[in-house]
Amino acid sequence: MQASLFNTSPGKARITSELRSLWAIVRREWIIFTRYPSWIIALFIWPLIFPMMYIFTARALSGPDGSGLDVFIQNTGANEFIGYIIVGTTVWMWQNIVLWDVGFSLRNEQMRGTLESNWLSPAWRFSHLLGPTGPQIVSMGMFIGITALEFGLLFGVRLNGSVWMIVLMMLAAIPAIYGLGFAFASLVITIKEASAFVYLVRGLVMIFCGITFPISLLPEWMQEVAKWLPQTYLIHGMRAAAFSNAGLPELIPDVIPLLLFGAFWLAVGYSTFLWMERRARQTGAIGQY
Amino acid sequence: MQLTNLSQPSLKTQVRALFIIARKDWKVFWRYPLNAVSHVLQPIIWVTPVYFMGKAFSTNGQALGFAAYTGSGDYMSFILLGTALSNFVTTVFWGMGFALKQDMDSGVLESNWLAPISRLLILVGRTLASLLTTIITSMTMLAIASLLFGFKPTGNVIAAILAVIPMLIGLYGFGFAFAAIVLMMREANTMVDVSSFLVQGLSGANFPIKSLPSWLIPVSLALPVTYGFDAVRGFLLKTNTLLPLHIEIMVIIGTMFLMLWFGAWFFYRTERRIRTLGTLGQH
Repeated sequence: MQASLFNTSPGKARITSELRSLWAIVRREWIIFTRYPSWIIALFIWPLIFPMMYIFTARALSGPDGSGLDVFIQNTGANEFIGYIIVGTTVWMWQNIVLWDVGFSLRNEQMRGTLESNWLSPAWRFSHLLGPTGPQIVSMGMFIGITALEFGLLFGVRLNGSVWMIVLMMLAAIPAIYGLGFAFASLVITIKEASAFVYLVRGLVMIFCGITFPISLLPEWMQEVAKWLPQTYLIHGMRAAAFSNAGLPELIPDVIPLLLFGAFWLAVGYSTFLWMERRARQTGAIGQY
Repeated sequence: MQLTNLSQPSLKTQVRALFIIARKDWKVFWRYPLNAVSHVLQPIIWVTPVYFMGKAFSTNGQALGFAAYTGSGDYMSFILLGTALSNFVTTVFWGMGFALKQDMDSGVLESNWLAPISRLLILVGRTLASLLTTIITSMTMLAIASLLFGFKPTGNVIAAILAVIPMLIGLYGFGFAFAAIVLMMREANTMVDVSSFLVQGLSGANFPIKSLPSWLIPVSLALPVTYGFDAVRGFLLKTNTLLPLHIEIMVIIGTMFLMLWFGAWFFYRTERRIRTLGTLGQH
């Protein structure tokens, strides 16, 4: 048998093989997620204790006779502060977890020493970033559901709105939140240590997006900054959907900016990935850590 | 053939080892200057939502509800001081628990364990540099925060510092016990994160514990750090304290000895078991 000098690659990318490889990555990530028992803490403990610290501060600010609460209701238009705070802190936690999980997914592969070999497989390389996103969205859905359940049971927080409108707001926010995660993941591969950048991005959300207060209390320049952050619209829309019984017409002013931000961040995320991929091939950065 | 041990541990060698561990951590910390900036800015970022939330509860800049609990409507000074103190709690938790896990992961724990120095000293050494950096970053944080939000200590600074010292020493006892659990579980990240967050939260870093739901107040009162935070605020901000200040100081000193004894006892007991099982090198 005569061996050809120009062997063709045995890997032939087809839609089905691409989907199969994407599914394999999704499955791998799910197995890793459930293999460490600390996921129980991540899903059951954090949704409760993180907002609780702000809630207890709000209780203290209300005073023993609840006099501060009247001022809060007057300033925010909300009926009570627990649900108001939960929505803000949950959105913050969502973005934070995406930055750590999706943002560091490629970096974790790099640290494990498997990124370079995976990169050589004839699969669509963006699958390596899309794959971890699937289990992340599922676990995040569970996280938000458990948050609602825990605060409903323990603090008596009740919805005054449609679950479907809340789901709509979350779906509208997915492209923006995960697009930012994709852009981040590609940058992390290039700059390696990026914890400080996670702190910066989540810090912006914490300061400007009104996680525990209405943004009308911010100075004007800070309100202008807040308008450029998609989480501001998500928090506002989710609060309206969950506690003010807002319908689609009332939510449209929040949904449209969210979708526009989503298109922008997905484009930025994918372009950054392509740039990183090209740069990594030129500099050999994929195998370095 | 008679084998003699080359190592001759003395007080001098122990102190030298302690200094070397601290110097190594000091060097590592300042090698990443962005981390130092982050240490200063993070607490400010975390208290910013509280600052604006406080405005939502205030009339003409006065948080009257808060004043009814603490005796002072200056909620930002109360919270900033709690944040600065809770930085030290974080330091001890991460310094001891997480440092052990890092050594496990990088495969040096077993060899460090063979060094002829006290194992508790290794743990103390891992927190010395971070205590110093925490003092620097917390002071810088307070200076910046006082410009942004206003921090107005009106009381006795020396008395407040003297109250912090036994609280910190007691925290070391807590840290020893915690390090033992990390050795046993071989997992640190989530444990350190959740425990340090809970201890800080329930000891009233950001609110007076009197505002907690009644079923949580006993938990809070069982934490010695609660009295430390309360006494320091009493001295520095002249807030209402849970107990008379001299009694709080006695509680802090008493629990300091108790926690040191219990932490060391639990650590050595667990460490002996780990050596018997031979799992020290596993992670």
